[in-house]
Amino acid sequence: MKHHPEIDKYAGLSSPIHNWDPRAKLIAILGLIVAIVLIPDLEIALVGLAIALTLALISRIPFSFMLKHMMWVIMFIAPLFVIVSLTPSGGIEHASLIAVKALAAVILIFPMIGTMRFDTTVKALERLKIPSKLVQMIMFAYRYIFVFSGEFQRMFTSLTSRGFRKRTNIYTLSTTGKLIGMLFVRSLDRSERVFNAMVSRGYEGNLKTLVDFEMHTADVLKAAILIAIAVALNVVCLTVV
Amino acid sequence: MMEMVISIANLSYTYHDGTPALKGVSLDISRGESVGVIGPNGAGKTTLLLHLNGILMSNNGIVKILGIEARKENIKGIRRDVGLVFQDPDDQLFMPTVFDDVAFGPINMGYAEEEVRERVAQALEWVGMDGCEQRSPQHLSVGEKRRIAIATILSMSPQILVIDEPTANLDPRAKWELTVLLRGMSMTKIVASHDLEMIAALCKRTIILDDGKIVADDATRNIMSNIALLESHGLAPASRIIEPQDRGPLLNR
Ligand SMILES: Nc1ncnc2c1ncn2[C@@H]1O[C@H](COP(=O)(O)OP(=O)(O)OP(=O)(O)O)[C@@H](O)[C@H]1O
Ligand SMILES: [Mg+2]
Repeated sequence: MKHHPEIDKYAGLSSPIHNWDPRAKLIAILGLIVAIVLIPDLEIALVGLAIALTLALISRIPFSFMLKHMMWVIMFIAPLFVIVSLTPSGGIEHASLIAVKALAAVILIFPMIGTMRFDTTVKALERLKIPSKLVQMIMFAYRYIFVFSGEFQRMFTSLTSRGFRKRTNIYTLSTTGKLIGMLFVRSLDRSERVFNAMVSRGYEGNLKTLVDFEMHTADVLKAAILIAIAVALNVVCLTVV
Repeated sequence: MMEMVISIANLSYTYHDGTPALKGVSLDISRGESVGVIGPNGAGKTTLLLHLNGILMSNNGIVKILGIEARKENIKGIRRDVGLVFQDPDDQLFMPTVFDDVAFGPINMGYAEEEVRERVAQALEWVGMDGCEQRSPQHLSVGEKRRIAIATILSMSPQILVIDEPTANLDPRAKWELTVLLRGMSMTKIVASHDLEMIAALCKRTIILDDGKIVADDATRNIMSNIALLESHGLAPASRIIEPQDRGPLLNR
């Protein structure tokens, strides 16, 4: 089996962010992200970026890991920066503001969900009363994406071993299309079997799990500090402007 | 007379696409029995097992579990009594961690948290996988997945254990370890497989299913020694195909 990069690779480290109650962590950091996105002022946004970097630093997740996973986002932000800075209504300052806020928000993802195992994230979402259907979708996507990608790879290998080569022509396209179609059919079959396995064990539409979440004063305190910072960032903007 | 735990009368089942998978199957199994269901690919083994806990229900024939006819109204109770382990462990293990998976059944059955945790610990210990609670199924070997899959059922303490192809894709050591494990379980067992060796080691009674019909139902030792019968249903043992001089001690028994 191929190794897949995983967002929760560093969930096993220990830091003040790692041992923060998952629910408090999700809400507080999400609040901070929203607050940063709302900042209308470049200097304050830079402060937001600094806070994001600080949290990332505290989380002890290696920056090389974050950089590797942020490549796609940076590749998206960079051209956006160029375009916005060239438009009359935009300008360098406006473009920088967008870029800085986007960067800060993306960096915050790592302390938010990179500091706990993914199943903990899912359970925290469930405990936060996110609609159960949505939580289950996220959970099953995470569980079966590798099963499906493995299946696709095996089908592809079997094609290649029978002489199929990827080229830029209609034949390649139609074959790949059929392959994807097959994958859908197989996925449908599998989801039916998984569903059977679930109802066999008493599934009635709701996913129930046991967790050992415990909210202590420290958890609330950490959340309060972050929320206060989030609010302050925007209040400062109001008074400055 | 022994108590009948499973009683199937004249069961037929046809899939939506018109494939007749079971054709008039009748079968009685008493408490504590260990029954092997063998037959070639497509014989209907899986289809039969899916009827035992009401995943499939036919209006052609009667399935009684512990004396109660399987119907929509009493399906919950039946699924509590009949634990079904599926052919592919990737279907059986759908939760993000081993703990969540083994706890899934007991939680749904309404046990209190303390009891759920006890059941999970006990089931994992039975299958020799204690200490793996926090691992995720996608990182387990096939043999480990099979053990966990069985644990997900044992944690519900069913009276009847139904297993589809428990030894598929296992290497000899994992296969024999699993066989020994299953042999140690005292509940009524129904095991579907092509693996004659495992069935011979595990089940006193064997049923041959072919083309949706029961073509033999006898003591395992009688079935396994009836080479002509096995051959005519595509189950010829290796000792018939390998030349005598190439067999070695294992097959020359
Ligand atoms: N979902 C389905 N829809 C239509 N036909 C099916 C379906 N599942 C099984 N069948 C057909 O029903 C027949 C019996 O299948 P079943 O899976 O019960 O056989 P099996 O004995 O378990 O085979 P195997 O040893 O390959 O697992 C086969 O002809 C099969 O093609
Ligand atoms: Mg089968």
